[in-house]
Amino acid sequence: MRRAVAPLLAVTVALVLADSAVVTLALPDILLHLDTTVSQVAWVLISFNLVLGLVAVPTAWAFTRTQPRILSALGIAVFAGASAWCAVAPSIEVLILARCVQALGGALALLGCLELLVAEYGERRGVAAWVTAGVVGTATGPVVGGLLTEAISWQAIFVVQVPIAVLAVPAALAVRMAPAPTDRHRPALLPNLTLALLSAALTAALFLLVLLLVDGWGRSAATAAITVSVVPLAALAAGPLARLLRPSEGVETAVGCFLVAGGLVGLAIPPSAHLAWTIAPQALVGLGLGLTVDRLTARAMHLRLPRVEHAGWTIGARHVGVMVGLAILTPVFTADLQDAQVPAQEAITSLVLDAPLPAQDKVTLARALGDELTDQRGQVPDLHRAFAAADLAPSSRPAADALERDLDSQLERAATRAFRDSFLLGGALALLALVSSLAGLAAPRVRRAA
Amino acid sequence: MNVRVLGLPAVATALVGGVLAVQVAYGGGSFEPLRPADPCAARTVVSHSEGIEALTERLVLIAVDRAACRLDVTREAFLLDVADGGTRTDAEIDALREGLHDAVRQMKTDGSLPPASDLVDEALDSADLNGFLEAVIRALPDSAIDAALETDDVLDRAIDDLDLRALLGDLDAQADLEARVEVAVGEAVKDSLVARVQGLV
Repeated sequence: MRRAVAPLLAVTVALVLADSAVVTLALPDILLHLDTTVSQVAWVLISFNLVLGLVAVPTAWAFTRTQPRILSALGIAVFAGASAWCAVAPSIEVLILARCVQALGGALALLGCLELLVAEYGERRGVAAWVTAGVVGTATGPVVGGLLTEAISWQAIFVVQVPIAVLAVPAALAVRMAPAPTDRHRPALLPNLTLALLSAALTAALFLLVLLLVDGWGRSAATAAITVSVVPLAALAAGPLARLLRPSEGVETAVGCFLVAGGLVGLAIPPSAHLAWTIAPQALVGLGLGLTVDRLTARAMHLRLPRVEHAGWTIGARHVGVMVGLAILTPVFTADLQDAQVPAQEAITSLVLDAPLPAQDKVTLARALGDELTDQRGQVPDLHRAFAAADLAPSSRPAADALERDLDSQLERAATRAFRDSFLLGGALALLALVSSLAGLAAPRVRRAA
Repeated sequence: MNVRVLGLPAVATALVGGVLAVQVAYGGGSFEPLRPADPCAARTVVSHSEGIEALTERLVLIAVDRAACRLDVTREAFLLDVADGGTRTDAEIDALREGLHDAVRQMKTDGSLPPASDLVDEALDSADLNGFLEAVIRALPDSAIDAALETDDVLDRAIDDLDLRALLGDLDAQADLEARVEVAVGEAVKDSLVARVQGLV
């Protein structure tokens, strides 16, 4: 049992940070199951990040005044209870409320686990385990959530968290703590700022890519989950690459930001809607994530006391960054998706008019397509129903099938175009993180020179 | 020192540059919806229908291009606007009527306007005529029909008689325009023939 304590705490950290984006691929299912609206269902994602971002630092202050193992155990128990509540939520309002409670418990669990891991492993290894668990959780959240949703249901995402968290409660209580030092240091501004900007950029990579794959290109949640698993896999390759080239810490984070920016530009300009075109850009994003997030978090906390408070700043910075990313990117891509309707409709009209079909079949198809487009205004329509329902002559079917493929391609093109500016904006956020990272590199030299 | 400072940036620059170069080389950045063609530019209009349906489809496709060109919009934007319903402006009605007349002239010039005799059987099939009158018309030789009726005259009359405002105000879909014009053309062919036959009698 004793040897399971630290791994259980690390898994809890990964669980809490995975929850930041774990529901991304489940949102369409939640929308249908709880009979809600797109804007409301987005709050299932937003509420968790918002609460976690806002309460991280105040929670850390609480840890400097109380027994960490008690607060940690309480936080993990609240997290487990709220996860179970999420799974049985009968309405969207209850689910959002449960997610807020889950984030409150999650903040206590996250920061408490840091202190407990340090008590178990020592300062250096404990912080490293906490940081690594967080990166793994962040990177794998959408993948795991998508696979669970497709294989079982969206509720399964929350159900599987309960037993792990329940086991972590006695693990937290079992840790023996030494009294913490009483020194205080100011928060590390530039690493936290870089972390916030990078988190905003990574939101574009994970959140928007999932939306593009599922809603824009019509892929299943499982396909999207497998596709975005490139990011965590590439993040794993970042460590060996850094060990091979042995860059300085500053160079590593700056290069990481550059790779994330490059990956986002790549995602903005795929040559087609084939999934293969997302792999290399995602690999760049994953490499960048692997080179930056753990380094920046460690740098923001390095030798700063109270440790838990500075960890709180990193959590706050990351989740405020996610919120900033969502706040900036969501209106842009929503407006672009709206604007994409006109060129998509014009392209569809053009192809139907010029299709090698008898005029009467064109009339039939135009009516069915018009109905489909009207019914699905605001979302990317499924044109197959219009073609399946149209009463066409058998001799017209081959041409109609070719037309359907052409129209689907036009929709994919319109959706891809609609996401372009958001991905580029994400790339710009990553470049801002690069600037902030370079400023962080210059700052110590200025101080040394002075 | 150099490897520590430049190694990773060089690898990252090569990776990002390589990925973006391959994507651009394969058309990245131009994966966009089809842009509508200039309605004022010449367009080859082909129909996969037969008889009056083919004639009407070609007429309407050419007419919509010409009308859109006059209104300085694309033909797709014009058709989507028309299909959306609402009140049509005089400019739109005039542009479409002129477009239809232009289409007749273009088809006559390029020799793609069928002789009236090609349209007679189909027009009579859908007409509710006195049996005797129908039999007389069907018995007329093609040369007599073509001598009595110029297709472009018939079409121009049909276009002038069309209540385009009512027609455009009641469309279910953009392609409905063709169906409505087709009915009007069929009617015009039939009415012209009946008038000629009655004149002879």
